[in-house]
Amino acid sequence: MSAATADVATGTNASGAGATQGAGRRPRRSDLGVALLFILPALFGFVVFYLYPTFRGIYFSLTRYNVLGKPHFIGFGNYTKLFADPLFWNAMKVTVEYVVLNIVFQTILAVAIGVLMQRLTKSTAVRAVILLPFLISNVIAALLWFLMLDFQVGIINEMLAGLGLDRVTFFGGDATAIPTIAAVNVWRHMGYTALLVFAGLQTIPDYVYEAAAVDGSTEWRSFWRITLPLLRPILALVLVITVTGSFQIFDTVSVTTRGGPGSATRVIQYYIIQKGFQEGQFGYASAVSMILFIILAIIAVVQLRLLRAGESDLS
Amino acid sequence: MAGMRKKLGAVVIGLATMSLTLTACGGGGSDSSGGGGGSDGDAIDTSTATGEVNYWLWDSNQLPAYQKCADAFHTANPNVTVKISQFAWDDYWNKLTNGFVAGDAPDVFTDHLSKFGEFANQDQLVDLDPTLAKDGINVNQYQPGLADLWKSQDGKRYGLPKDFDTIGLFYNKKYVDDAGIKESDLANLAWNPQDGGTYEKVIAHLTMDTSGRRGDEPGFDKSKVKVYGLGLDGNSGGPNGQTQWSMYTGSTSPAWTATDKNPWGTHYNFDQPQFQTTITWFKSLIDKGYMPSVAAVTGQTESTIFGAGKYAMVTNGSWSTNALFDTKGIETGLAPTPIGPSGKRSSMYNGLADSIWIGSKNKPAAAKWVEYLASPDCQNIVGDAAIVFPAIPSATDKAIAAWKAKGIDVTPFTNQVTDKTTFLFPITDHASEIYNLMLPALDNVLSGKADVSSLTEVNNQINQLFQ
Amino acid sequence: MATIATPASPTQTSLAAQTAEGTRGRKPINPGRVVAWACLVVIMLVTLFPFYWMLRTSLSTSTSLFLHPGDLGPVDATLGAYKRVLGLATTAEAQAQGGSGASVNFLLYLRNSVIFAVVATAGQVFFSALAAYAFARLRWPGRDLVFFVFLTALMVPQIFTALPNFILIKNLGLLGTFPGLIAPYFFMTPFAIFFLRQFFLGISREIEEAAKLDGAGHLRLFFGIVLPMSAAPITTLAILTLINMWNEYLWPLLVGTNDDSRVLTVALGVFKQQTPNTGPDWAGLMAAVLIAALPLLIVFLLFAKRVVNSIGFSGVK
Repeated sequence: MSAATADVATGTNASGAGATQGAGRRPRRSDLGVALLFILPALFGFVVFYLYPTFRGIYFSLTRYNVLGKPHFIGFGNYTKLFADPLFWNAMKVTVEYVVLNIVFQTILAVAIGVLMQRLTKSTAVRAVILLPFLISNVIAALLWFLMLDFQVGIINEMLAGLGLDRVTFFGGDATAIPTIAAVNVWRHMGYTALLVFAGLQTIPDYVYEAAAVDGSTEWRSFWRITLPLLRPILALVLVITVTGSFQIFDTVSVTTRGGPGSATRVIQYYIIQKGFQEGQFGYASAVSMILFIILAIIAVVQLRLLRAGESDLS
Repeated sequence: MAGMRKKLGAVVIGLATMSLTLTACGGGGSDSSGGGGGSDGDAIDTSTATGEVNYWLWDSNQLPAYQKCADAFHTANPNVTVKISQFAWDDYWNKLTNGFVAGDAPDVFTDHLSKFGEFANQDQLVDLDPTLAKDGINVNQYQPGLADLWKSQDGKRYGLPKDFDTIGLFYNKKYVDDAGIKESDLANLAWNPQDGGTYEKVIAHLTMDTSGRRGDEPGFDKSKVKVYGLGLDGNSGGPNGQTQWSMYTGSTSPAWTATDKNPWGTHYNFDQPQFQTTITWFKSLIDKGYMPSVAAVTGQTESTIFGAGKYAMVTNGSWSTNALFDTKGIETGLAPTPIGPSGKRSSMYNGLADSIWIGSKNKPAAAKWVEYLASPDCQNIVGDAAIVFPAIPSATDKAIAAWKAKGIDVTPFTNQVTDKTTFLFPITDHASEIYNLMLPALDNVLSGKADVSSLTEVNNQINQLFQ
Repeated sequence: MATIATPASPTQTSLAAQTAEGTRGRKPINPGRVVAWACLVVIMLVTLFPFYWMLRTSLSTSTSLFLHPGDLGPVDATLGAYKRVLGLATTAEAQAQGGSGASVNFLLYLRNSVIFAVVATAGQVFFSALAAYAFARLRWPGRDLVFFVFLTALMVPQIFTALPNFILIKNLGLLGTFPGLIAPYFFMTPFAIFFLRQFFLGISREIEEAAKLDGAGHLRLFFGIVLPMSAAPITTLAILTLINMWNEYLWPLLVGTNDDSRVLTVALGVFKQQTPNTGPDWAGLMAAVLIAALPLLIVFLLFAKRVVNSIGFSGVK
């Protein structure tokens, strides 16, 4: 996938471009007919379920559109209102906080687990155990941890109290709620990410380390100077997968804190749902999702560069 | 059912109301309703009732009682069959509004005060008055005030009352005994916003830390509380505080009401001093370690924690009676809410009704069924089941008797009605927006992040919605 | 969770490095290696404990569960929760144990989930493979531009398209039906196309040339050679898609409005709110969660090696 995106950006695709020229036996001609046949179902799905609703959403963001009526075009009114809305900015702040925590911890843990697995065991059983949480849905993971982390009757707090420690208001505390939600999602996804890292580590040839050892590099330095840089493409891929997903955090919040306490976990997607679907301000909610869309697009562009930068390292 | 009433504010949480929007997105708003007729002012001819009626409710606990009603109804009207479906709260409203859009909503459904205004505005409900007048149904046969709650701003009647609920003080009998407090004393507690009165004294004494020191004893460690004297129900309670603080703000002096008039007020009063001093006192219970913080109860159901033995007393609604009394290993008692500076107790008063969907393809049978649901015949059956208080006084008495037979004295709830110490749930427009403004603001006040005076600004924001 | 995760990470990293040294040096016992194993075991415990807690809670009695919140074994052990969830208990039995007594039939929801996930996965993988082939191996004007437009769909938040899509499905009269539930996933997802295109790009040109010499057209080439050759990445994609479809929540919540089209994730959410007065029926909920997870767990156990390896594959490619 990393290569695929890079292809698009650079336009130099060795196998694809070379192939068409190489088939010189027949006169060059377009495969348009058969290509249409191949692409038609996907194109249909794309236009109907992605493209059209996207344009509709953009239009809605320029309207006043509430539960009781039809959309009224109002230009950029929703956007001017949005930039003056403290709850919107709070939602942005909380979401970014979540995204950063989620990605940092998930990446660190995944690298740690991946390296541990690579050095200690190739056992499928161990990897299967690590992957297990990925098989259950976010909703289930959230409910389960909500039960376990309850302030008064959760097993984790019972254990803390049993050890004579203070109980922790995981989901309920202003300072702890977002980290807790991030931790639950890290728990669900870290195994998957660790396996990606593990696979990436498999591709680093031993001689690289051996050469480093000959040069007198310690293992610690080798990790920082060889392993991590060579992992860059895979880490970039992890970022692609996690950043877009993390910005759309919703289900975990929805089944646990519902935005509270106060506005501590009112993340952007929850705010959109609240405005659009609870308060019936669908035009306004569409404007907020437009902002989310733009942010994700900017991040995607940045990632494209990141991925391209990652290409040349392992050659 | 009523269970969810306490969520009144939370009503619209989740995706439930998504479909409200969806209705509108359907392009035509409400014109998708399939069935015919029902134009304003037309009485439905219930004498021609025949065929099948689809009826929805959301409380599984009530299903058996209403199934009995349906069976009795069928015996009395062999031409009509009632098919009952039950769905859980969020799902219920989601399906209902989807049904409005898709044209397959039920003929009759259990309706909620926080919802019917919006439904009425969208022309989804049948105005019942003409039919009731034609059939000679007495809308004054219910507990006082209940029937008029279901009149919309346009003066039309969109529901017939089926039940009501009030608030009481549940307590853990063992903890009360251990503390040397007599149960009879609990019936005569008084609170005030200055020192909390006898009410706070009892709460303090019932609170205990992990080393066994009570809340009113020296050395009490409020960071290691084992049993809280008073529970807190899930969050700060938002704009109504039905189970959290409404029984205090309803008994202040001078008297405080949430809105300028009710129903359909257009001005909120969260800026008034008697409200803010009451909230300040309420918060002090948390600061003293007598009541858990908002953080500690986030997402919890109060009865769960009461059942775990962590609360000595909780203020909760009559709908929770069975849940709180049936908990294994805990013996529960019930007392009335405390007397306030006004010299009276107070309780929020709320109820449900049955409504007919405008798109019903079988309005005669639907109307017949609604009239039956609101009649003594059905409400007596419901009363005998001891699950809720039916809206008709004689049926309410049956419920009291049925509970008494189970060893539970529920008069602390019903006395509020007979003593006229109730006030109605505030019904206004913009309910969900107000909830979404007030809940975080009050959460922040109770957790000490904002001063109580910050509610004045929130109140201004709320009142601007009505301009 | 947070407390365990936070401080552990840096230590683990350095330990891993030390351990690596041990491995290379072929010393039989190495303290660093022991500590590293200890870390891995702790991580596995953190992974597994919640699953044990699920099982423990599902075997408890809901009404007394929180009287003994710290008990490591089931509280008042019973199979009642499973009976409730499978609809085998009477209303009275269910309510006595803290259930709602409302009718639930998780076997039906299980069937629905299987239909939804399998059909959506099959269609998505097949049609995405076709399109990926066209993007990777066919030559036609505007190919890269169209591909780029497809790529941008990755950035569109789901919430943005959910509502217009709902209205479309509603207007087609497909609410509460499997076609309505499956349609948006059936024809493509951007990710599936990228994933397979990338693999198709790497297929050796010689094979294709040889087939063309034999007079094979693109259709025969695709079905006869490319598809069989790509069994591994297609299985990988199918498994990943299946996991995602199985766990899908928002869209089925909107469209799967009746019992005949309700999938497990949505049913779990509904089940949680059935007992609002007493709080969730945790034992029943956890029993339901285990039942919901069972099919995936079985698939996982059967294909553990392949799943585990395929995820590595998806990353490297």
